[in-house]
Amino acid sequence: MLFIAILIGCILGAIVGINVPIISYSYSSYLAIAIIAALDSVFGGITGTLKGEFNFKVFISGFFCNSILSMLLTYLGNKLNVDIYLAAIVVFVGRMFINLTIIRKYYIDKWSEKYQEYKTRKANKIQEEQK
Amino acid sequence: MDKKVEAIILAIMCFILTIGICIQINTVNNNGSTVSGSQQENNLKSQVLKMKEKYENQYAELERAERELEKERENIASSNTELAELESKIKKANLLLGNTNVTGTGIKVTLSDGKADPKILDAENLIVHAENVLAVVNEMKNAGAEAISINEERVTNTTAISCDGNIIIVNGKKVGSPIQITAIGFVELLSNLNRPGSTLETFKNNGKIVDFKKNSNLEIPKYTGVLNFKYAKTVK
Repeated sequence: MLFIAILIGCILGAIVGINVPIISYSYSSYLAIAIIAALDSVFGGITGTLKGEFNFKVFISGFFCNSILSMLLTYLGNKLNVDIYLAAIVVFVGRMFINLTIIRKYYIDKWSEKYQEYKTRKANKIQEEQK
Repeated sequence: MDKKVEAIILAIMCFILTIGICIQINTVNNNGSTVSGSQQENNLKSQVLKMKEKYENQYAELERAERELEKERENIASSNTELAELESKIKKANLLLGNTNVTGTGIKVTLSDGKADPKILDAENLIVHAENVLAVVNEMKNAGAEAISINEERVTNTTAISCDGNIIIVNGKKVGSPIQITAIGFVELLSNLNRPGSTLETFKNNGKIVDFKKNSNLEIPKYTGVLNFKYAKTVK
């Protein structure tokens, strides 16, 4: 259910995004960092949903605030001639990997449980047949 | 919170995110910039692209201002016959200088580098050189061409055609093969460029690929640079 919704969102976004006019090259570095921030928020959201501690307000505000803040930091970095966006990327991508690990562990646990259940059921069946 | 609502919110966020990603990919592709291994190279590349964009923006503004100026001039000229005469003079001068887009009948010559052929001894002859382009432009002028462009670069009275390695420089801008030379003028005269024994025929015999086409509706863009006369003064 969750992943079907995400998939539909992604496909619709791709269809719209292809037909939207391109932005000027000067702003593309800002958009890039905003994308990384948004990607981090989405992964965080997925993790939250799986854990059952999804907070609508935290998620939405994080999505927009992180994007805008990272863009502002990139701008500041441009003015100061320091690549601040590198720090933002390290933080966001690091968090993304942590969230990915949580998602992966969740599904591994779920599926191994299911497999165990299937195994015990099969063993029970064989026992019943033997009786 | 309801699972359904959560899924919908995540879907909307993904929707926004993918739009951003698509725009970014399109932008990067459009500028033909690939990420290179060297940081310095990347910086230089992005600087060049930014400058180019700045130039284009400024140029668009200039064009808008010029259009406005023309409108104003026309407005004033319509009420005064003396000014109307001057206005027509300005228009004629601009036409002669190559400051206006022009359209008319003419020819289009396309020169491209020939394919490597072991039978041809001198590979030098296969390549379209700046001198070859110059020769064609000269012939066009000889045949009475009124407006000439090389790959959309207008040939004016200050235009130089020079060699710069594997490309040709026209009006200070890079032009590469295939080179399209367009000329507007009297078509029957311009068609003589294709006569037997002509420069174009020599190019063909040398192994270059030459394409000659007559066209009744050609468009040649205006000169985009600035004409500056600092030293030449009119004799009184």
